[in-house]
Amino acid sequence: MRPTGSPPAGHPWRALAARVRRHRLEAALVLPLFTYVLALTVGPLVDTVRLSLTAPLQGGFPSLANYRAVFGSPVFRTAVANTIVVALLSIFLQLVVGLALALTLHVRFPLRGLIRTIVLVPLGVPTIVAGAVMLLVFSRSGYLNAVLFHLSDLLGVVPGVEWRFQPTSWTVAGGWRTLATVAIADTWKVLPLMTLILLAGLQAVPEEVYEAADVDGASRWQRFLWITLPLLVPYVTIAVILRAIDAFRIFELALVLAGRVEPVLGTYIWSRYGPPTSDVFTAAAAAVVLFALILVFVGLYLRVAAGREELAA
Amino acid sequence: MSPGSAEVRPPPRQDPRVRLLGRLLFALWVAGATLIVFFPLYLVFMVSVAPGSALFGERPALVVTEPTLWFWRRVIERGELWAPLAKSLAVASATTLAAVTIAAPAAYVIARLRPEIRYPLVLALLVTRMFPEFAIGVSVASWFARLGLVDDYAGLILAHLVGSLPFVAWILVGTFAGIPPELEQAASIDGASRVGALVRVVLPVAGPGVAVAALFVWLYSWNEFLYARLLTTSQNTLPLQVFQAIDRGSRQQMAAVAAVLVLPIAGIVALLQRQLRPGALAGAVRG
Repeated sequence: MRPTGSPPAGHPWRALAARVRRHRLEAALVLPLFTYVLALTVGPLVDTVRLSLTAPLQGGFPSLANYRAVFGSPVFRTAVANTIVVALLSIFLQLVVGLALALTLHVRFPLRGLIRTIVLVPLGVPTIVAGAVMLLVFSRSGYLNAVLFHLSDLLGVVPGVEWRFQPTSWTVAGGWRTLATVAIADTWKVLPLMTLILLAGLQAVPEEVYEAADVDGASRWQRFLWITLPLLVPYVTIAVILRAIDAFRIFELALVLAGRVEPVLGTYIWSRYGPPTSDVFTAAAAAVVLFALILVFVGLYLRVAAGREELAA
Repeated sequence: MSPGSAEVRPPPRQDPRVRLLGRLLFALWVAGATLIVFFPLYLVFMVSVAPGSALFGERPALVVTEPTLWFWRRVIERGELWAPLAKSLAVASATTLAAVTIAAPAAYVIARLRPEIRYPLVLALLVTRMFPEFAIGVSVASWFARLGLVDDYAGLILAHLVGSLPFVAWILVGTFAGIPPELEQAASIDGASRVGALVRVVLPVAGPGVAVAALFVWLYSWNEFLYARLLTTSQNTLPLQVFQAIDRGSRQQMAAVAAVLVLPIAGIVALLQRQLRPGALAGAVRG
């Protein structure tokens, strides 16, 4: 905690002690926050790793029994696969739709301010409420089916079209349908964040770059593909990393929409930790795997993004 | 966002009919997208006043023709609204107060550090956001159980501080870094003590930033589900009450509780509109 411009001193330890004494106020101001983060964030994390390596029935502390148990379980392996599918699908959806919305809000048109506010509101909606609403949309007598019914009626008028809509309950159908409901619900919830990040990126593109492209006779599409998109890459990187951290942790939406049919890591940990299983140790092991998954994805993505930037340079 | 930013300009040489068609398609897309984003919010309020018959069958109606408050009354009579609302309000407000009290002084000091120390510190705070709540919550919950902090307001407030302190500190470091140190120096020349200069000179200038950070914490705690679930066995918060209604309740009950939860959101988002920098958001909003 050394403020700017402290003078260099003789012995490092004595200098440090002197500095602490001189900056007692600063130390006192910082201490509560750092104590808190150490005691209630870093501490519990280390404790979770310890729990994951503890197997009371199979020989105590350093033991990989929990990890063996977890990886041996087909439910866990499905949960890992589902988590990756949902995360990739929702990140992809959010990037595409977020970019479309950002491009739209970047154009000047009447009522833009109002529409921006409406589009931003889901940002503050509790995730559990997003889940509840999507349950109303995707259930068997839900509103998606209602819309599809009306659509099939409309198409029925067209001669030669033989499509009759068969209603399904998207959330309990299992497989891609259920996973897609989770990804769509997540997309609705975080679209504002994605849109704002990409909009900030669009607004950071200097006007001169476009002027130069106009001089060269570039079409609108060419401008987008060769100027806007490459300049957006850093913003996309930030957005993807932020979203990936959250997307792999997905819990409430999966619990509400897919809980009974398709497990993800969050709901798997929940089922291990809660009754009737109440097994803290395998829950901790799965939580550590989840953390590792996030780290691996962010690391991989950063390498790919860095590699691409080198190519472009 | 800001006026005078680079706007997409119409390309030269265009058939007026093509331009009209383009405008029409654009308007359609904007209206459609806005409608789809808004529709789920409409559903919450609509379903909460829908009579039971309106929600069944293969084509549930999109508009309620005979609204009823029956389910609202039922939710209130069974104690599923006021008590959770009181708990959510109390926990969110206490968390906000505690988070700002702990984070603001530290953020001030961090903001005044040399950049080569400040950046790693802020980054370390942000990295804690990457930890899955489960990896913290599983350990914290069993620890709090031993301390008797389960089903206790204090336990939940402590847990919500875990989730909110890093991003509050992050937002506030930005706020304090924007306040010139000369301001305090001028105050101390005028004879104010260091603490006096902080409280009377720096804090008022930082006011708006602190308010934004406080709103974000409040929103986070108001919405939080996982820690609340891990640390609650009797009195629900509002998000837990929504989950209970999903688990075993009617859709209208679920929608009524959800509507109460959503109600303050529009106001808060409108208040935060101008402050919605992606950086602050990214730290504060969870998916």
